[in-house]
Amino acid sequence: MIEPDGLLRRLRGDGVPRPEVDPGLAGGLRDWLEDGLVEAVATLPVGAGVVRVNKESLSQVLLCEAHLLARRQAPRVVTVGLARGSLVDALFRQWVTTGVVDGGWNDALAALEVEGDPDGVASFVAGLAAGPRRRMMDEVTEQVGHITAGWPPLSPTWLPRTQERLEVPLCGGRVVLAGVVDLVLGRPAQDRASVCLVELKSGGRRLEHRADLHFYALLEALRSGAPPFRIATYYSATGELDAERVDEDTLLNALSRVLDGAVRLCRLAGGAEPARTPNPLCAWCAGLPECAPGRRRAGTDVARVADALGGLDGATA
Amino acid sequence: MSASCSTAQWLTDALVAPPTEAISATELARLRADLARDLHTLGADLPPGERLQIDAFKVLVAHRHPDRCMSNDDSFVPSPRLCRRAVGVAAVNRCVRGLSAGPAVAVAKVLADGLEDLSGESASGVRAPWWAQWYAGLAQGGRAVVAAEAVTWATQLYTALEWTSLPGFPVIGGRDDWWQCPGGSQLVLKGRVEVRSLVQRRLALLVVGTGRCQVDWRVELGYPGLVAALVRDAQVAPCRVVGVWPQSGQVRVLPVDLPMLRAAATALVSAVATWVDGRIEAQRMALASGHSALAGSRRGVNA
Repeated sequence: MIEPDGLLRRLRGDGVPRPEVDPGLAGGLRDWLEDGLVEAVATLPVGAGVVRVNKESLSQVLLCEAHLLARRQAPRVVTVGLARGSLVDALFRQWVTTGVVDGGWNDALAALEVEGDPDGVASFVAGLAAGPRRRMMDEVTEQVGHITAGWPPLSPTWLPRTQERLEVPLCGGRVVLAGVVDLVLGRPAQDRASVCLVELKSGGRRLEHRADLHFYALLEALRSGAPPFRIATYYSATGELDAERVDEDTLLNALSRVLDGAVRLCRLAGGAEPARTPNPLCAWCAGLPECAPGRRRAGTDVARVADALGGLDGATA
Repeated sequence: MSASCSTAQWLTDALVAPPTEAISATELARLRADLARDLHTLGADLPPGERLQIDAFKVLVAHRHPDRCMSNDDSFVPSPRLCRRAVGVAAVNRCVRGLSAGPAVAVAKVLADGLEDLSGESASGVRAPWWAQWYAGLAQGGRAVVAAEAVTWATQLYTALEWTSLPGFPVIGGRDDWWQCPGGSQLVLKGRVEVRSLVQRRLALLVVGTGRCQVDWRVELGYPGLVAALVRDAQVAPCRVVGVWPQSGQVRVLPVDLPMLRAAATALVSAVATWVDGRIEAQRMALASGHSALAGSRRGVNA
């Protein structure tokens, strides 16, 4: 587990000069995206809704277009992983904002309830049997212990703010890139990049976490005209921090991925037949019974159900 | 717009640039009279005893989702997102006046003051802010969400402008503009802006939008500009309304001149007409269902 001083040093990127802001970069990235999207947007039917591109839709459509549509049509299932993620997120937010989380579990539930429990997590937790509920409480308490031990109070001059929403409209607003960043630090950039973005993960390390961060770095660059100087993922289960600097390659790779995904999302919104890409999640896909390539990959035509108690790692926050 | 010239400085310069358009007192008086006549006619169609209070949200709902204008439920349920603006403007006010080191500290102070005002309300005569009673009833976790939402909102406004470059002391938040439609109408207009700054005796208004700028941004910015003009003399009517959408980084500048005010008035009248129609329809449906329920109960009695 990383020590508080080390965590702050890594978030600040001590010893690494902050990059100068290229005033033409954000405009260039936006032009590139809009040029790449113009054909796909032109095929959208008149009156079609806005095509929203967020980290979930992006990773799902790039995994398998048919899987994305099946997920959209299936009822949303709250898993232990999702519930744990929401509860830990709420307590991280509370810790950063107030520096106090002595109510622990009750604080987290109160936080979900004051917002109307939009994802049904509080109801899900209330419906758990005593054993699984106790296990989840223990896990959340342990993770919050890592947070309070690893995160010192942040200076108000760093302007820490939580759950900051980013929305970047493209092509006249027909496509919107959107995200919510768990923690943003630093003043908006002037001559040098000055913002650091942090994502909190309560589950295990996954490859797509870096892609999510790069997506957010691109959003921030497009929104504010300057990329963040640093992006990081904090793993509350282990207390580890993965931090990296943002350079032009980071943004260009993210742009290429976003463009690929956004074009696919536009095609699907226009009613195109989804491409089917067999992958390791086929066995859990709600669309499995109607998907021949998926059935071959999974070796069955009965989809496994995401275990509400164990959860799928892919569904964790 | 380059980041290196500071987005905040650019926005500040745009807000307080010298006025380019003037509005004559005669033109403004004519606009006021025309609008009062149109609104009075519409207000007369409202079901008896009903009052219609219009704000920017209602104007936009009427334009974007006219089907949602049948509700006359003006009840207000507080939530962290609904009170972040009220707490946030008070916090930014503290930061700009050097009373707090940053939005996080300022929000904590504003919330604590709200609770203090509430506890001493009856004794001191100080009126607690509208959110205080609700906030006081929340558990610690709920209060933390209120604070977190307000900090994020306040930080966006605080970093949007170069406050030291604004002339004089800007009004941050402040009282809403209210305009009662003359002639005993049940129509009231409410205009809300986040910052008012004086530019050569005229007001420059800043509005903070949510999400991203929509195609009808002229309506969104024009409405508070119109209400501010209606309640003031021509010499001190606003010179522009600047909209900033922090989540998307978009900025729009709407100079206030007569054509802009006329366009905003047209959009307002159209929105009021939609709301009045909605109220009439809602009353008609309520009466119809009341009649059928009554008829049903009579049938039940006769059977």
